[in-house]
Amino acid sequence: MNAAARVENATKVYGEGDTRVTALDDLTVSFERGKFTAIMGPSGSGKSTLLHCIAGLDSLSGGSAFIGDIRLGDLSEKALTLLRREEVGFIFQAYNLIPTLNAAENITLPVDIAGRDPDAAWFDTVVDTIGLRDRLTHRPGELSGGQQQRVAAARALVSRPEIVFADEPSGNLDSKSSAELLGFMRRAVDEFGQTIVMVTHDAHAASYADRVVFLADGKQSGELGDPSADRILEYLKSLGD
Amino acid sequence: MLKLALRGVLAHKVRLAMTALAIVLGVAFVAGTYVFTDSIKASFSDLFDDVNSGVDLYVQGVSEFGFSSPLIDEGIVGQVAALPGVVIAAPSVEGIAQILAPAPCEKGPGADPTKPCPVGGNGPPTLGFSYFPTAEDLTALAVSDGDWPRAAADVVIDSFAAEANDFVVGQVVDVITPVGVEAFRISGIATFGEADNLMGATLAVFDFETAQRIFDADGRVNQIAIVLDPSVDATVVQAQVASLLPDDAEVITGEDQSEADLAEFGEGLGFINTILLVIAGVAVFVGAFLIQNTFRIIVAQRTRELALLRAIGATARQVTVMVVIEALVVGVVASIVGIGAGILIALGLKAAFAAFGFGIPTNALVVAPRTIVVGMVVGVVVTLAAAVVPARKAAKVPPVAAMREVEGPVRSMGRRVAVGAAVTVVGLLMLAGGLILAFDNAIAVVGAGALITFVGVSLLAPLVARTFARWAGAPMARLSTVGRLAQGNAMRQPRRTASTASALMIGVALVTVIAVFSASAKAAVASAFRDSFSTEFQVRLEGFSDPRATGLPPSLTDELRTLPELAVVVRDRFGDFRFDEDSPEQFLLAIDGPYSQVVKMEMAAGSIDALGPGRAALAKADADRLGVGVGGTVSIQFPSLAVAELEVVGIYDDDRVGVPLIIDFTTYETYIDFHLDRFIYIKVADGTDLEVARTAIAGVTDGYPSVALTDTEELIGDIEAQIDGLLNLLVVLLGFAILIALLGIVNTLALSVAERKHEIGLLRAVGMTRKQVKRMIRWEAVLIAVFGGVLGLVVGVILGSAVVLAVGQGLMLALPVVQLITYLVVAALGGVLAAIVPAHRGARLDILEAIAYE
Repeated sequence: MNAAARVENATKVYGEGDTRVTALDDLTVSFERGKFTAIMGPSGSGKSTLLHCIAGLDSLSGGSAFIGDIRLGDLSEKALTLLRREEVGFIFQAYNLIPTLNAAENITLPVDIAGRDPDAAWFDTVVDTIGLRDRLTHRPGELSGGQQQRVAAARALVSRPEIVFADEPSGNLDSKSSAELLGFMRRAVDEFGQTIVMVTHDAHAASYADRVVFLADGKQSGELGDPSADRILEYLKSLGD
Repeated sequence: MLKLALRGVLAHKVRLAMTALAIVLGVAFVAGTYVFTDSIKASFSDLFDDVNSGVDLYVQGVSEFGFSSPLIDEGIVGQVAALPGVVIAAPSVEGIAQILAPAPCEKGPGADPTKPCPVGGNGPPTLGFSYFPTAEDLTALAVSDGDWPRAAADVVIDSFAAEANDFVVGQVVDVITPVGVEAFRISGIATFGEADNLMGATLAVFDFETAQRIFDADGRVNQIAIVLDPSVDATVVQAQVASLLPDDAEVITGEDQSEADLAEFGEGLGFINTILLVIAGVAVFVGAFLIQNTFRIIVAQRTRELALLRAIGATARQVTVMVVIEALVVGVVASIVGIGAGILIALGLKAAFAAFGFGIPTNALVVAPRTIVVGMVVGVVVTLAAAVVPARKAAKVPPVAAMREVEGPVRSMGRRVAVGAAVTVVGLLMLAGGLILAFDNAIAVVGAGALITFVGVSLLAPLVARTFARWAGAPMARLSTVGRLAQGNAMRQPRRTASTASALMIGVALVTVIAVFSASAKAAVASAFRDSFSTEFQVRLEGFSDPRATGLPPSLTDELRTLPELAVVVRDRFGDFRFDEDSPEQFLLAIDGPYSQVVKMEMAAGSIDALGPGRAALAKADADRLGVGVGGTVSIQFPSLAVAELEVVGIYDDDRVGVPLIIDFTTYETYIDFHLDRFIYIKVADGTDLEVARTAIAGVTDGYPSVALTDTEELIGDIEAQIDGLLNLLVVLLGFAILIALLGIVNTLALSVAERKHEIGLLRAVGMTRKQVKRMIRWEAVLIAVFGGVLGLVVGVILGSAVVLAVGQGLMLALPVVQLITYLVVAALGGVLAAIVPAHRGARLDILEAIAYE
């Protein structure tokens, strides 16, 4: 399989003794290149931990995480940082933008930090896709929540990363803004061949994905291909039974 | 509320500790100054009491003001001794005598290693006095080794000088005296109370007749100590003695003498005290900015917490009280620690003084109640005052703020502009008023004006902070995104940036004032010497000394005048006088020789060469004020209260002279018993090669160590170096204020980093390396520091120029550009230093925690 990222026998344990929590329990899962994958699961199922560990923000207690063919556990802190800069894009639920930079500067931030010149044509393509060309010189404080998240999504794409991780990206948005953002993410996969992995609670959001991976207690509890919101809800319901 | 406040203090331990550190330092400086000067004073009070306790009465020359007092005819000693009830009448003579350590000896760089080294001097006096056999018990000196000077060629020296130079009893040393260099045998070594010397002064004790001879006091004495039979009434004898004395002598009790000694000593000490307290005040003032800023940021960061309190029913007043209590706790604790640290500072100062040869007679450590009260009041009041504005702001937090994410709205700056401008204007007016009108206590008004100006400028600073950061940060913003982010961070909260920078501004401004003043003084010296000296060479004492206390032996001039290579040798002296009781004490200049040939003076009327006994030249301003012209008479008063009516023969219109009155040597010696010269001006004979002349002069001056022979350019260089040395000392002391300001930058940045943890987390997540995070914080610190530096330079140059122009006295306004740029660079480097800890913390932020959504 052509995996953009994967974990093998991933284990993540927090705390000691009585407070010991196993967030990931011998989990093996991979994310196909050029696909939009959603990770779902109840609170405490380990979905955010999985995202953090596979994105190089946190380290595993056991097993391995890969981006492309690079094993994250072999990398130094500095190398991990550079890997994130080059190969990973992020969309968080909040605090996505730097308030002192305008929208355009926020979008090019990872490229600028790397000291490279942004690819102008690609930048234009991304900006036109998110539909915020007339807002580029605005500061985050002057943008709506939905616009801010679209700027964040553009930033995640602008360096053409191997993979984009999104952590509840539509969690704070109204349904219209949410649809715009998710629609944009879908287009990024369909039109640009971008790989996206998204953690979400929301079945409607997950329905934009090509595949949904369900987690429970640090293990994969199932998955759905080409899901609709109804099928996801049905599946979740079946879990409850 | 009290419980909450205490919890608040504990919850913000680190940031409050930083705040407290500023108070601790300020209070420590205040308390240390008091403890130190009080201890010295107590020590000397004991000493003077001890010295004067055995003496019932003293006879001495009247010295109402100034430095010198007239001598008394020796015949009076016998008359006093013959009075009924007088047990001892011991005369004494004193003057200046400096011991020479034989070569090779420790010398400064560039000194001739074959020459002997003068011991002591360069500030503290080199005292010489007589020993009187019947009065051994009456002296504060104790001979610890050897014996008192019994023979004409004996000398007793102080223990510090002896130890420092490995002098031993029986050794023969050269001593510079007013009559030339003479050889003496060390007969004994003495200590002063518990100290090896007296505040750095060196002591040389001679046999009575020798002292009279070398101090030009044949047939005369400085003082007579009288011990009475306990059964007689001292007031009766005092009256009898008084009837024997001329107008310029007086008889006082031993107790009065102690008080007079202490008062005189206190004056000198008061000066040190004032300088140290001013610097302590600056430190506390800068600390206040730091405290205010810290509390404001803490309040801003606790908006949610405070809003929650308001939401669950706390009144605005309760919230204010809570913040004020926090400040109170911090203020009290920091003040107590500060007073403790102050005592340590005082001990350190004493140890440093002792190490540098400034002996202090006893080891008393005086912590007066005043010290504790002032320290506590300063610390607590400053903390509370600084916390008031943030506390009021805290009360204004609306309960609803608990429910939403807010980065406080940027309020309009209109009111701030008005207040800031008004405060600045008031400060500048006070400054100008004090400088121009020069009334009593004008200095205090000028100082207060400067402080108020600082406050005003700091209120206005946020207005320009954004513009400054945009402008000054542009190069680094263009260079990299990291620079762009740093610039943005410096601009986003102009008040915080401005307030932090303002603390630094104060230190930099004061240092700049000093730099401007010293550059102006140096320019004035150089131009005055170059324009007015028509001499080839000058001779003076090396280093820095009071020309009324020490100087060149007159024999030096006598010898120089015999040299055929020289055409003109003129010397001068300084003295104290006043026009009348209501006028201030001033300096006069006495000249011996054809002054107009060595110094070009602008005369408004008459001639300086017409001076002679009973004649004077006056400065034009004073002549105009007194309404005297050439041919008129001016009446002046000397320290002995003797009044001289002098005929005015010249009026000079030249503010470079610096003194209002010039007289000749005969007049000087009639009224002032001081026999050392300040300065010798030398004009080489026509046709004589300058190098030949210099060698001839050096042949004479080499016999007098610690005498400097210079040409005019060398002299200018020496004086400039002296001015630099003095002002560098002040700059070092003010460095303390700058240190506190840098602490402020550390604090602000640390708080900002904590506040921006989400942002930093995001930056790290999207690929910013730790190095880049550090660089971002460092650049922000540099921007803040340079902003403070630029503000300081601007304010400092304005204040400094005002002071220079107001002082006048021939000072020429000069801006030391290189030095000022250096200050700016140092400020920027200070920013880099201040950023170390916050940058480290920023770089180590846990990314997961930072991006976690609460």
